[in-house]
Amino acid sequence: MSWPIGLEGTPGLLAGLGLGVAFGFLLERGGLGDPRKLTGLFYLEDFTMLKVMFTAIAVAAAGIGALAAAGVVEIESLAVQPTFLWPQIVGGAVLGAGFALGGY
Amino acid sequence: MRPYWSPYVVGVGLGFTLLAAYLLMGFGLGASGAFAHVAARVEGAVAPGRAQANPYIVGYLEAGRLWAQWIVVQVVGVVAGGLVGAWSAGRLRWRLDRGARIGAGRRLAFAFVGGAAVGFASRVAQGCTSGLALSGGAVLAPGAWAFLGAFMVAGFVTAWVVRGAWR
Repeated sequence: MSWPIGLEGTPGLLAGLGLGVAFGFLLERGGLGDPRKLTGLFYLEDFTMLKVMFTAIAVAAAGIGALAAAGVVEIESLAVQPTFLWPQIVGGAVLGAGFALGGY
Repeated sequence: MRPYWSPYVVGVGLGFTLLAAYLLMGFGLGASGAFAHVAARVEGAVAPGRAQANPYIVGYLEAGRLWAQWIVVQVVGVVAGGLVGAWSAGRLRWRLDRGARIGAGRRLAFAFVGGAAVGFASRVAQGCTSGLALSGGAVLAPGAWAFLGAFMVAGFVTAWVVRGAWR
């Protein structure tokens, strides 16, 4: 079997549902359902969001890297977000402002 | 009410969830795309002429049934997972999280304006903190890191201005 599988149709939707449940469950258990914890980063009071996010990025990146190096994962088949530098900088800034204002 | 888990435990769990998404689907997790799908269909229902004149909106309308969209189903899962997490930890109740110095009406107005800004920005950047920063970060997409840098800078500046809402 070659990875990624690239599930489609109903199996893909069921996987999406399961992954979403895990995503939501973990965020809640980490306290990221609380906007005061989420915005706490910007007041240098609560670094939960950074710790969760960078741990997750490091684990997933290391996993993808290791599986690709072992020849298990075809890294070319993974969808990498295309770079649109200025839209992503402007979008990131507006999103950051909205996040600090609204709390999510 | 049980205490929250260690952020590192949650981060490892989330990292494996994200890894599983890449292995099973070939792409990562997201959030804002689901809202874009719903918004496009609302525009298609309320102002069909205007929606059909916009190729970006038409792209969403032609994707087919709402409940057959992967990102929509995934976000429904997020809501369900969050609900189960809060309920099983004894945290499930109605409340409006806010700082001590802000009224409920003002807090909700801030949430509305902030939410609108987040929705708009997620279309400008083609992603949000989930689909672009988290998922893109894990595959080392340059745009994800540019997004994250701008997000932090603007977040710190805005947070200082609206600090009364949260602290």
